[in-house]
Amino acid sequence: MTKEEVFEGLKEIFATIKPKLDLDKVTMDSKLVMDLGVDSLSMLLLSLAAEQKFGMQFQPTAKPFETVGEVCDYIVSAVA
Amino acid sequence: MSKYFYDLLPADELARLPYIPTVPEFVEWLEATYADMPAMTDLTSTWTYREFCERIAHRRAFIESLGLPKGANIGVFDRNSADAIELFLAITSAGYTVLMLPSSLPNPAVVGCCARFDLQALFVRDEFKDIAQGAPTRICSSSSTSEAVAPVAKVDKEAPAAIFFTGGTTGAPKGAVLSHRALMRGCYNSIFKPGKVIGVHRYIALLPLSHVFGLIAGTMGCFYTGNLIHTCEDMKATIGKLPVIKPTILIIVPGICDILAGLCKMYGPQFLGGALRLIIAGAANVPPRLVDIFTKLGVEFTFGYGLTEGANLTSANANALEKPTSIGKIYPGQEARIVDGELWIKGDNLFSGYYKDPVNTAAAFSEDGWLKTGDLVRFDDEGFLYITGRIKNLIILPNGENVSPESLEEPFYADPCVRDAMVKEDELNGDKVIAIEILPQMPAFEGKSWDEVVAYMEKLVNRINAGLPSTHRIMKVTVRQEDFKRTGSMKVARN
Repeated sequence: MTKEEVFEGLKEIFATIKPKLDLDKVTMDSKLVMDLGVDSLSMLLLSLAAEQKFGMQFQPTAKPFETVGEVCDYIVSAVA
Repeated sequence: MSKYFYDLLPADELARLPYIPTVPEFVEWLEATYADMPAMTDLTSTWTYREFCERIAHRRAFIESLGLPKGANIGVFDRNSADAIELFLAITSAGYTVLMLPSSLPNPAVVGCCARFDLQALFVRDEFKDIAQGAPTRICSSSSTSEAVAPVAKVDKEAPAAIFFTGGTTGAPKGAVLSHRALMRGCYNSIFKPGKVIGVHRYIALLPLSHVFGLIAGTMGCFYTGNLIHTCEDMKATIGKLPVIKPTILIIVPGICDILAGLCKMYGPQFLGGALRLIIAGAANVPPRLVDIFTKLGVEFTFGYGLTEGANLTSANANALEKPTSIGKIYPGQEARIVDGELWIKGDNLFSGYYKDPVNTAAAFSEDGWLKTGDLVRFDDEGFLYITGRIKNLIILPNGENVSPESLEEPFYADPCVRDAMVKEDELNGDKVIAIEILPQMPAFEGKSWDEVVAYMEKLVNRINAGLPSTHRIMKVTVRQEDFKRTGSMKVARN
């Protein structure tokens, strides 16, 4: 699965969990917290939905994800 | 008013559920009443009430072996594990006072808590050992137990049982001390749910035990009614296991309701496990849309209102469909009055005061002992209560966290490049978030562009966020070019 495919999949999840978010403004560089307003609860929903969608598991990471691109990279390597 | 609650459950069940004024008596009653019924499971092991109470007795023996003076304060720093639940009941039934620390606390906060609350011992989950490093107290593993058993202690119902963090009715963070009498009155009020309640439900300890709603309405409410609780060491993993756990009841905050609603939308209502019949939401404003969403999914949805200082449960609404904007009726054992629009309450459930804070304690009560809630309310003709505003300066997030703006602003004032800062509630992409407006100390930026000023402030926010629990992070930053509106004494005007 390519990073771009994961990105499109994540945007579909955002469409459900953040209905007021303008998806055209979501880029790989978008910051999860400051740009998209992903708080700890919506991160929980995002990761649960991504695990279902991509058939993978998020493991605890040393540093929280900062950007959408970092989440995409993690998913790509987890499903590889 | 009480009839409203007494009528919720069958009369024969109500008669079997007395108000028990202390935790030691409660633990003995649990063992005698529900002996062979399942009490707690982590999906690997399941313990009956008899086994559960025996494990608590072994833990009491370990706590006694520490040789601490009775009444000493003991902390627990763990996730919502079997260890943490047993320690809560062991510490309080052995005659000590417990402080459940939020599992998201960073190291400086853990160290600070030990000093501020005079913790004479701290039970720490092995995984959290590094976070508790340097804590000025005796550290014990939260799995510690003893071969021996110790009986429950004899305690006065007015003796302190637990200290809970709270934003308080005036804003700044403090430790609210709940006596056995108050804690157990809150637990007793948690029995009032629609339908049969004894031995019919599967609960999950989803909410933090450091929060009164999670501990009193959730975990203790489960035990009071002889039900089974699933421990929850990882919220994400536990929600992912809902189809296996098949909960019949969920005690959750509106933010988690939204998560579950989102998952049902994406993957169908079977994601909830297929057995869920009741959701009790609280600890933050419950939007009426949630009533609609879950009613359509065939789940009864109720919610209520409370505050840490009132042992969590002040009012509840079991008529959410007819009155979706009401916080319900006042629980039994309380009196309520409205003074200048503010709700004042009195009853067994009131806290004893803020820990070592006589000034704020005095400010929380009227001269004749009423607790001033800081919330503006009105009653309708049928006695249903509605919140109309708030006097206290608190941000209450959908995850139930009470955030004091002043405490978040404090570290910004330590930075020489900040002239003033104001933390407030705001919206970001439709969600309620913590936001900050910062007025820079412009002379400190001489020769710098505005973009550099903004970049500096964003970095500062990131640095301060890194030291905060994830639930308290600032998510929106505005750097002001114009001064704040100010009060007569030149303080930043909040509204």
